[in-house]
Amino acid sequence: MRALRTHLYHALLWAVALLFFAPVAWIVLSSFKTADQILAVPPTLFFRPTLANYVRVLSNPNIVSGFGNSLILSCSSVLIAVAVSFLAAFSFSRFKPRGTAFLMFLLLSIRMLPGSAAILPVYLMYVGLGWKDTYFGVILFYAMFSVPFSVWILKGFIDGVSPRFDETGLVNGAGWFRIMTRLIFPQVMPGVIAALIFNFIFVWNEFLFNYIIGGPRTANIPTALATGLYSGGGVDWTFVSVTTTLYIVPPILVVFLFQRYLLVGMTFGTVRGEV
Amino acid sequence: MSRIAIEGIAKSFGRHRVLDGVTLDIPSGSLTVLCGPPQAGKSVLLRLLVGLETLDAGRITIDGQDLAALTPAQRSIGYVPQSFALLPQMSVFDNIAYPLRMQKSPNDEIRRRVGEAAAVLRIGGLLEKRPDQLSGGEKQRVAIARGMLKQATVFVLDDPLVGLDFKLREALMDDLKDMRVALGATFVYATSDSLEALAMADRLAVLDAGRLIADDGPDQVYHAPPHLRAAELIGFPRCNLVAGRAGGGRCATALGMVRLEGEGEVVLAIRPEQIRFTDVQSGGLHGVGHVALIENLGADSVVHLDVHEIRLVAIPTTESVAGLDVGDEVAFAIDPASLSVFGAASGVRLMQGASS
Repeated sequence: MRALRTHLYHALLWAVALLFFAPVAWIVLSSFKTADQILAVPPTLFFRPTLANYVRVLSNPNIVSGFGNSLILSCSSVLIAVAVSFLAAFSFSRFKPRGTAFLMFLLLSIRMLPGSAAILPVYLMYVGLGWKDTYFGVILFYAMFSVPFSVWILKGFIDGVSPRFDETGLVNGAGWFRIMTRLIFPQVMPGVIAALIFNFIFVWNEFLFNYIIGGPRTANIPTALATGLYSGGGVDWTFVSVTTTLYIVPPILVVFLFQRYLLVGMTFGTVRGEV
Repeated sequence: MSRIAIEGIAKSFGRHRVLDGVTLDIPSGSLTVLCGPPQAGKSVLLRLLVGLETLDAGRITIDGQDLAALTPAQRSIGYVPQSFALLPQMSVFDNIAYPLRMQKSPNDEIRRRVGEAAAVLRIGGLLEKRPDQLSGGEKQRVAIARGMLKQATVFVLDDPLVGLDFKLREALMDDLKDMRVALGATFVYATSDSLEALAMADRLAVLDAGRLIADDGPDQVYHAPPHLRAAELIGFPRCNLVAGRAGGGRCATALGMVRLEGEGEVVLAIRPEQIRFTDVQSGGLHGVGHVALIENLGADSVVHLDVHEIRLVAIPTTESVAGLDVGDEVAFAIDPASLSVFGAASGVRLMQGASS
C-alpha cells in the first residue's frame, strides 16, 4: 500500500516535471527540424534530424558576436561585482560602520524597482556620458546591478566566520587585507560561488538594459534573438530554436555543476551545512 | 625581561562595566593565573593585554613601555585564544607554522620548531591532517602550539584546558609549565577552575565582577584570602562560611565563640581540612554534627556535616573517617588560628586567625 502511494507520488512528480520541460524539449527538438516540420500539425515526433539550421545560424556573424558578447558581459561584470561585493561585505561584517543595517537595505532596494523604472534615467545618463554601446558602460551597469545581491550573500557568509580568525592574523602581524584574502576568503568560497552563479544567470538572461543602453557592438544573445526574430514575413522558428538551444547550454551546465551552491545563495548563507 | 604593569584599567561594553579599575603587577618570568567565575572579566583583561580591545581608562606597560601605541603584532605577546580558531583551509602543520610564516622564518627552522612544539604537545602524528579531522582536545593542543610559536617574551593563555578530559589536563598542565621554563617567558593564564589555578600559579590573581580581589602567591590566597569572594572562589571542596556577630571583643557563632575585635556582622571562613574530628575540645569553635553525605575522592573523603541548620564540608584525616557512615554523630573542633574573618557586608578581611 505504502509502496503504491510512493510510486503514485513519483509518477505525479514526473508528470509535472515533464509538463514543465515540454517547451524546452519542443525548442530543442525544433532546432533539428526543418521549418515545415516545426509548424506541422499534428507535431512530428519522429523525423530525420538535420544540422542545417545550426550551420545557417552559426554562419550569421550577429549571432556569433552575440555569443561572444554574452560571455564577455556576464563573466567580466560578475567577477567585478563579486570582487567589489566581497570588500563591501567584509567591511560591513567586520567594521560595522554606523548605519550598516540601513545601508544594506538601501543596497537591496535598487533591485526592488522594476528595470523599466530605472531604464530612462540610466539611458539619459549613458547617452550624456557617451557610454552607450560601449563594453565599459554595459559591464559597469551589470556589475552595479549585481553588487547588492552579492553583498547580501557574502555578508551572511562572512558573518558566519568567527572574528577569532581575524585575531589570529592580527596577533601574528597580518594586515586587514591579508586577513581578508588569506584567512577569511577561503572559508567563504561556497558563498562566493553562489554569488557568481546567481549573477551569471541574471546577466546571461538580461535583455532590457542590453537592448536600451547596448547597441550593435555590445548586443548579447537575448537582444540578438529579439532583433533577429522576424524574417521573411514571419517568426523565424529555426533561428529561434537553434539560438535558444545553444543559449541554454551554459546556464544548464553551471547549474548542474554547482547546484549545491544555489541553495546557499537562496538562503543568504544561512544554510551552509551541506556545502 | 618582561614585567607587566597593569594600572587602573577599566573597560565597558555599552553599559556593562567589564573591568573596573584593575591594578595588577605581573612579575617577569612568573606564571600568573587569573582566576574567577565566568564573566568576571578574565578574557577581556587578556584581550586588552594582547591588544584585541582598547582600554577605556588606565594603562598597561611591559618593562615601562606603554602598550597603547603598539598593534597586537608589535607587542611581544603570544596568544592562545579560548576558541581554537584553527584555519580550516590549512593543515595542522600550516596552522601551527602560521606565526613563523608571518615572521618569515626560513623553512628548515619552521619545520624544526613546529616539530618540537608538536612533540611536546604529542600531536606529532596529526600534522598532515585538517583541523576538522581532529577531536576537541587535539584542536586545543594545536591552538596551544600555534600560540607558543610567536617570537615573544610574554604568553597569554585564555583558559586553554577548558573542556579537556582530566588526564589530558594534568598532562598539559605539566607540559605548559615545562614550556615556560624552556622559553624563560612570562605566562599569564586565565582559568575559572580554582584547582587548576592553584596547581599552575606561582602568582594567583582573583577577579570577580570586574574587580581584582586577590593578588598573591597561591598559598597565601588559599590560606589567607584577602576577600570573602576569594575564599569562596578558590579551593575545592568549597570553603565553609559561618555567620557571626562580633561585639565586646568576642564573636558569637552557631559553632561557639571566638575572640574578635570589632563590631557587627561578620563571616568566618573555614577551610574543609581545618575541621578536625575530635572529642578534645580546647574551647573556640566545636560541636557535634550528623553525617549527611560522604564523598570518596580516593586519597581523601569529603564529609558533609549538618550542625544546627548549618551544612559544613570537612576533609578529615583518613583514620577519623574510617567506619564513619551517613547518620552518625561526629564531634569536631576547629582551630581558631586558621580562620579568616570577613565583614559580612563589605567582604573585606578583618582578621586572619582568631583565638579562643
